[in-house]
Amino acid sequence: MLFVQLLLGGVQNGALYALTAAGFALIFGATKVFHVAHGSAFTLAGYVFLYGWTHNWNSLLSSLAAVAVAVAFGVGMERLVYRPIQRHEGSFFTVFVAAFGVSIVVQNLVGVFAGRGFASIDTPLSNASEVLPELFLADVFWVAILVALVMFVALTLFLSRTNAGVALRALAQNPDLLRAYGLSSSRLSMLAFALGSALVAPAAILTAMTTGLNEAVGNHVMLLSMASTIVGGVGSLRGAALAGLLLGVAESVVLVFLETQWASAASFLVLFGFILFKPSGMFGAAVAK
Amino acid sequence: MIAYFSNLATLVAIFGILAVTLNFMVGFAGIFSVAHAVFFGLGAYAGAQIALTVAPNPFLACAVAALIAGVLSLCLALPALRVRGEYFVAASLGLQMVALTLFSEVKSLTGGIGGLTNIPRPQIFGMEVGVLPLALLALGLLLWAIHAMANGSFGRTLKAIRDAESAAEAMGKPVAVAKALAVAFACAGAGVAGALFALHMSFVNVESFTLDQSVLVMAMVIVGGTGTLFGPLVGAVLLLSLPSALSFLTFIPPTEVGSVQQIIYGLAMTLLMVFRPAGLLGDQNKGKSHA
Amino acid sequence: MSAPLTCEGLARSFGGVKAVQGVSLALPAGAVTALVGPNGAGKTTVFNLITGNLKADEGTAQIRGRPIIGLKPWQVARLGVARSFQDLRLFTQMNVRDNVLAATERGAWFWQGGDKRARLAAAEAAMEATGLTALAEARAVDLAYAERKFLSMARILAAGADIWLLDEPASGLDLSSRLRFGQLLKDARARGVAICLIEHNLDVVVDLADRIAFLDRGLVLAEGAPKEIMNDPKLAAIYFGDRSHEVAA
Repeated sequence: MLFVQLLLGGVQNGALYALTAAGFALIFGATKVFHVAHGSAFTLAGYVFLYGWTHNWNSLLSSLAAVAVAVAFGVGMERLVYRPIQRHEGSFFTVFVAAFGVSIVVQNLVGVFAGRGFASIDTPLSNASEVLPELFLADVFWVAILVALVMFVALTLFLSRTNAGVALRALAQNPDLLRAYGLSSSRLSMLAFALGSALVAPAAILTAMTTGLNEAVGNHVMLLSMASTIVGGVGSLRGAALAGLLLGVAESVVLVFLETQWASAASFLVLFGFILFKPSGMFGAAVAK
Repeated sequence: MIAYFSNLATLVAIFGILAVTLNFMVGFAGIFSVAHAVFFGLGAYAGAQIALTVAPNPFLACAVAALIAGVLSLCLALPALRVRGEYFVAASLGLQMVALTLFSEVKSLTGGIGGLTNIPRPQIFGMEVGVLPLALLALGLLLWAIHAMANGSFGRTLKAIRDAESAAEAMGKPVAVAKALAVAFACAGAGVAGALFALHMSFVNVESFTLDQSVLVMAMVIVGGTGTLFGPLVGAVLLLSLPSALSFLTFIPPTEVGSVQQIIYGLAMTLLMVFRPAGLLGDQNKGKSHA
Repeated sequence: MSAPLTCEGLARSFGGVKAVQGVSLALPAGAVTALVGPNGAGKTTVFNLITGNLKADEGTAQIRGRPIIGLKPWQVARLGVARSFQDLRLFTQMNVRDNVLAATERGAWFWQGGDKRARLAAAEAAMEATGLTALAEARAVDLAYAERKFLSMARILAAGADIWLLDEPASGLDLSSRLRFGQLLKDARARGVAICLIEHNLDVVVDLADRIAFLDRGLVLAEGAPKEIMNDPKLAAIYFGDRSHEVAA
């Protein structure tokens, strides 16, 4: 039963990783920006929800505030940091360092204003009950999976059915072509950042309800999203999401054999292995080199 | 006061070694590693173990540290040969995270979270010596070596590979060998810094070898300017004096000094990249065409 | 005439598309062989197969009788092959002198073996021959178009190779630059260098080439003296994009 318990826990975490990874992959695919501050959007969204909850806001209002903050952060990064750097032909590394700087600032600001250490909230959703002998499951498990599925269906519909969505996918494939057709790539990249960042909000809220948040949680989220994007294959949203799910499950199931502290090392070993032996990832068409 | 400044100077020299060696990898070879603290850590543990179990001879400690860090740098060189850009940064982040877990779990070699304590003071021929002169000597030697390489054929080879790898290969240069050598040199340097750090602090634990530390060293390089000889040193001096400068600002509660310091690092990195991407001493025209 | 570089039956396809299908060539010493053909004929692919940048699916290639298929690009280069790239691939952040010096250095070790003074002299001579001496300290990225082209040639000259593979070295040059470039090739030919040239400008080809190999769709359709090839109406039709004669086939 321990194995099943861990597996289900992994699926729950993995569903949330899948969301953040899809956001990262969407941004990277469409704008070629390696958005290392993606985890900061997660941190901010989670803490805004936490703030609303502790101040007795309506939970819908808190959730909307969380989404709004994540979107504002993503779009702000695009406008104020990434675009000025790209204007002067900054290399990818310039972008990386600038984004890393922002994530350090966010982490410490959150630490100063919200306090350090774990913070979580108790909702009726997080109370586990014994569904089978020795198998505990909280309602939040179903919520996480449902939310992840709904978000993916919505995202897929958006990308395939709307003009903006189709243009976003085209941007990922050939930005020059798009410019030739007179579509504004700058508005599209804002859209990519807005959407990608919005995807982290539900994951952040659900994480606040389950394992809890701390000021450094963004690092872990960023690393996992990045790992999932690469393992899944750059350019493939589905690949990133699936890899996020798999990494979540792997992190959890590995506990059957190893102690907790090895869990995240396991995901990074997977990442390392992919980069060494299959840099194009599971579904990637492009070769990294 | 003298003790305070001598301690600060020693740390500046040690972090100066880290910064100039990382700069060699970043600036000349275009290998953007965010795992430099891993090799710093390997050197520190190796140096500490030598001092604890063999002899507190600083030269022996540094040599073993350089050897171990240099050989294990293959873990960094392999991905550097396979992928570039974002992928390599991701690989080095992965290496950093895995290594950190190993540092805290392989307790027999590293002492785990508690670390290694009571590392003896360095001695040469039975005489106790300070770490400061040793660190300055190592820093001076490394600067000299990097200067010589930068103006010599090896630096030219690395820069050629950085600018156009396939063209360099078409000239008969085995790219893999050059890259692996550059990585090994830089990581061996970080190992020496680690051994000196262990001897200086007489205590090491995993806290000093985290991703934050790697990023701090990277920030030193960036702030000073990649690809310049003295830029990273300026960066090391600036970032290491920041904590003491902040302690003069009495309105910051002592518990928040660490955070304020981090916020300043972070802001400095972001603002520099947006407004002055080549760093304080770097050539701002680099990477742009005037033609 | 000895041929230091020969290849036979080189073939390579990309996902079902046969880019090169059975190309055989011999590059004689002291002669200019021009690879001519429409876009997508597989000319650059032939270079990449010879230099080891691409793996050949089939076929063999030898340098002075030594098989080179399967060797890495740097190993092929060390057997005396120098190549230029259509997109030049200069070392953009390095100055002109370092660009040329880099071509004289093959070692990847911390230091180079051999005669440093000879390398410096070779670099200076190459810059002199290409008219870049005055620009020795300028960064490659700051050069004008024709200067970049000549820097690419200077690197070839300095490498001291006796087999040259040049990918559109004269494209976009004005007439006087083209004449200077032609003189460089003629001097090299006189020294016995085996030169292979991908070129679209037929004036350049007629002026410089001793032999022409006409490629289309990965096949050598014809090989011979420039006059024979240029006067073949079928080849001209293919070259200028008129494939009407093939409709029946």
